[in-house]
Amino acid sequence: MSVSPYLSGLRVLDFCWVGAGAFVTKMLADLGADVIKVESHSRPDNLRVSPPRRPGTSGLEASGYFASRNSNKRSFALDMRQPRAREIAHRLAAESSVLTSNFRPGVLERWGLSYEDVRRDNPRIIYLTMPMQGASGPHSSFIGFGSTIASLAGLMHLSGLPDRPPVGTGTHYPDHVPNPGHALVALLSALYHRERTGEGQAIEVSQLESTVNVIGPAILEQSLGESVPSRNGNRSATASPRGVFPCRDEDWVAIACRTDEQWCSLADVLGHPEWTDDVRFSSLEARKRNEDALEALVRDATPTCDRATLVRLLRARGVAAAPVSSSRDVLEDEDLNDRGYWQRVQHPVIGDMAVAGPPFRIDGERPVLRPAPLLGEHTHAIARELLGLDDEEIERLVAEGVLA
Amino acid sequence: MINEPNDGGGPLSGLRVIDATDTLGAYASRLLGDLGADVVRVEPPRPRGKPRAETNLHRMFMHAGKRSVTLDLEHDAAAGILHRLLDGADTLVESFDPAWADARQLDPESLAHEHPRLVHVSVTPRGRTRTDAAAPEDDLTLLASGGLLHLGGYPDAEPVAAYGEQSTMAASLFAAVGALVALLDREVTGRGRWIDVSAQECVAQAVEDSVATYDLTGHVRQRLGSDPREAGSGIYPCADGYVTMVAGRLGTAKAWKALVAWMVEEGVEGAEELTAPEWSSLSHRQKPESIERFGEIFGRFIAPRTRLEMYRDAQRRGIALSPVNDVAAILADPQLAARAFFVEVDDPELDHPLTFPGPPYRLSATPAQPARPVRPVGADLEQVLGELGIERDELAALQRAGAV
Repeated sequence: MSVSPYLSGLRVLDFCWVGAGAFVTKMLADLGADVIKVESHSRPDNLRVSPPRRPGTSGLEASGYFASRNSNKRSFALDMRQPRAREIAHRLAAESSVLTSNFRPGVLERWGLSYEDVRRDNPRIIYLTMPMQGASGPHSSFIGFGSTIASLAGLMHLSGLPDRPPVGTGTHYPDHVPNPGHALVALLSALYHRERTGEGQAIEVSQLESTVNVIGPAILEQSLGESVPSRNGNRSATASPRGVFPCRDEDWVAIACRTDEQWCSLADVLGHPEWTDDVRFSSLEARKRNEDALEALVRDATPTCDRATLVRLLRARGVAAAPVSSSRDVLEDEDLNDRGYWQRVQHPVIGDMAVAGPPFRIDGERPVLRPAPLLGEHTHAIARELLGLDDEEIERLVAEGVLA
Repeated sequence: MINEPNDGGGPLSGLRVIDATDTLGAYASRLLGDLGADVVRVEPPRPRGKPRAETNLHRMFMHAGKRSVTLDLEHDAAAGILHRLLDGADTLVESFDPAWADARQLDPESLAHEHPRLVHVSVTPRGRTRTDAAAPEDDLTLLASGGLLHLGGYPDAEPVAAYGEQSTMAASLFAAVGALVALLDREVTGRGRWIDVSAQECVAQAVEDSVATYDLTGHVRQRLGSDPREAGSGIYPCADGYVTMVAGRLGTAKAWKALVAWMVEEGVEGAEELTAPEWSSLSHRQKPESIERFGEIFGRFIAPRTRLEMYRDAQRRGIALSPVNDVAAILADPQLAARAFFVEVDDPELDHPLTFPGPPYRLSATPAQPARPVRPVGADLEQVLGELGIERDELAALQRAGAV
């Protein structure tokens, strides 16, 4: 099977676990980098014990969540509690272009893998850490989860209906887009700088600081002082109606009208051309003023509609409309499948499963995805190739619980 | 005021990026610019047949620091200037309507032929393969078709979108990633690539384990809302807003004990009840009556306390509790303040400084530069065209012809 060529030649020693970090190194691996994921049987990646699992499967190799986030990586079993393992990690770091970690501040330092330790033997290393709130400051050791960052960074407060408690995105959103996205931009930029100058460096992505940037316009709004950013459901100042409405079969449709023409088309498609004669809705300003009444009319008209038909008719008339796609709809989506976003891979324990690669095509093509590694699947190969150990030495280290 | 081409010494200094995005993709070149690239934003002198969807806040944040020129690309002379700009550029990021671009030889094939070293990033709602790509889209419809919208909101109401044009943020982040991958690849191959970014796919990166869950088990995940899922984990109201807490699940059993001990110590009415053995079991804490009873007791405890008090005191006891920050609270966050995260920017068009989020990452050798003020539309026309050798007379002729 061919490997994506774009980042070939890049070796990444990967101490990322669970969320945001694993998505960073998945992108690198999918694009051709040799990502060596370090974990151990005594302390496997928490994601390996997270659902979903195919009914009838169990154990550390059965997690569909882990498998969807770790394609194309190699797994190296190394028990970092052992002093010998730390020596080995240090040697691997010397053979790598990039080291990545989203451990709490202090963990790599305890293992003798601080930036200073690693750069001594490998001055070209790009050393990426992704602590929750940064390695310095009064809250650097505070604990939390992906949703914690969304709460601290304002996404939680700003998402939801105005008259109800904040609801957020319903997911650990910062782990999936803002934090891996920003970390990749910084990492690839540092690699570009190194290509031209030979200079390596350390990168710190505070997950809080990264996430505050994706609500950047709200920070500016608060600082301007003319208004206070607040949650407003699905409404927006630049479109009305703009909302989610019920369709037949418990489906939902998202619709947004920016112009009067789009509003007229919506009224027409819903079989109510008389709405366009109503002065309460004659302009965007008027529709914004009378939005409760407007949404009530639309909400009463859509439940008998077939969603796919309604979306097709509205789009043909130039109105922004889309199905509110569930996980099933997303997996079966025609555009996503036509473009090869989902690939079926054969995982040795899970079997046939869908995995997504990078959300773009390069010269019209997609990199080929290989299934996530079994724990320690590549320990022998990596020990031979990079550490120059022979089979006997490897077996001894396995028996001693170092490569385990 | 003359805005000098960017030579701030960032990792991307020396690169030139042409930004011809509409709303999608605009944050990509903002990031590349703050990392040292010279970004020239090409805007139509008036909207190209569709209303501008961006608000002023959006513009101030997304286009901060970019040089701005206006070119009417309907005009042959202006298209000629764009090509001359592209001759000297490393990357083009655009969100052209595909049919419009095809008709003006601004399609991927023509651009690759004319500018073989150019990294061309097209950012479109659902990829450049989509046949009805001209139908309008909105942040809401993109969050819908990418699957994130379905996961957000309250179980008893319609799905609710994440705040802040997250489809633009996601598409921009991955557009920047794609551009950098191609720029690194160009160092090896000497030629540019075409990165075809689909905003829908970028949003679909955020659907967490939901697609794997459907794929492996047939279960379609539904939105969970803001109600606690068990006693100890969820959103709770306090004196000045809400806090989120995870105490008891995901390896936080100690935190549950610490929380109960804390409430007993403070003499909270009913807290003794929570020391009974059944409260140590997850299944008991997940019963609706347990959730309600805990809510009453804990509610009494936190009602007079502020978010910040709860945050500090809970974290000191090893409990993963964090404030649900509104934007004023983010601006006052002690951790962000200690790390000097926010930057004040003097915008010549405003009478007081604007507060921007600091860079989302910290690079030790080549730091990103802090945000700079947005330039008025077209403010750098004379300077940028001057760099192409276009003198004032010629510029005046172009202006008379309406090309710029």
